[in-house]
Amino acid sequence: MTDASLDDVMGRLAGVAAGTPLAATRALRPDVVRFTQTSDEAIFRPANDGGLSHAERVQAALQMALLLGDDVLATHYRSMLGSAAVDAGSERAKRIAAHVERVTLDPGASQKAHLGALSETGLSPQAIVALSQVIAYVNFQARVRAGLRALGGRS
Amino acid sequence: MSKPMRDFTKGELEWTPWITPVDLDSASAEQRDALKITPSNRAVGAYALVLAHDPESVRERSPLYNAVMFGPRGLPRADRELGAVVASRINGCAYCASVHAKRFVELAKEPDLMQRLYADGVGAKLDDARRAAIVAYAAKLTETPSAIGPADADALRAHGLSDGDILDLTHAVAMFAWANRLMQSLGASS
Repeated sequence: MTDASLDDVMGRLAGVAAGTPLAATRALRPDVVRFTQTSDEAIFRPANDGGLSHAERVQAALQMALLLGDDVLATHYRSMLGSAAVDAGSERAKRIAAHVERVTLDPGASQKAHLGALSETGLSPQAIVALSQVIAYVNFQARVRAGLRALGGRS
Repeated sequence: MSKPMRDFTKGELEWTPWITPVDLDSASAEQRDALKITPSNRAVGAYALVLAHDPESVRERSPLYNAVMFGPRGLPRADRELGAVVASRINGCAYCASVHAKRFVELAKEPDLMQRLYADGVGAKLDDARRAAIVAYAAKLTETPSAIGPADADALRAHGLSDGDILDLTHAVAMFAWANRLMQSLGASS
């Protein structure tokens, strides 16, 4: 079984070094490693973004990394954003940011009208679902990273 | 959330989407492929058809979900389902909690534990110390992942969980951080 600890985003973000016990632990679940990586690619580098731009996806991810208090993830997404930017003052950006915060911190407060608000600001059904997947994926990613760090003896 | 959740044993909950699902008959080849729909397998629910609006993400998420929750060996499936229920209870996803509570009871044959969790929340006093440690880890990972550290892994090791088991539990709980948010933000449980 190959040690994929250095081949994927999650391994890198969790600081998993090749040949370590943590790498061996990860290698017990090669399908989880593989489909976590392909999910990351589908979320941040889709062939068809449905109108939700790369910058919007990464900005949402950066916002979540900050909400979740994960400095390593925040650095990762700042770097991914690079010089791209969203117009933070636009109504669209504000509604997306509000949605990202609410679904991250209080998903039970979700209402149908929140999707209507996104739709009114120009998001297609595909973009709404894509945004939902970005939010849900980063919440998954931060928690897997936290568990891997704990297993590796780091905070 | 500490108020009791609706009794999962009493009937099936339903999930009603807030956006129109993809119509199966007019789905694109990419959408059908992403959901693994074939002429002989068209039994796809509303949830999958909503996710099909963005086929690339659902294509990768489905096998990831299966690997996390059904991957052979490792942490017993009952414990993965328990992690899922804890996450769903905290996030307030009644639909997810009910489905996975039923799965836990089918697998573990411990309805009392699940009733206690439902009635008293994730701080419920459980007689089984190993299950209690799993619940505590799942709750902390769900609520404050940034506060998770080596001591949390050690607490599970003290109850006999291997590092692989702890990673399996982490994946299951994190997967429900994902699943709950999709269900809760794209539709309503009733």
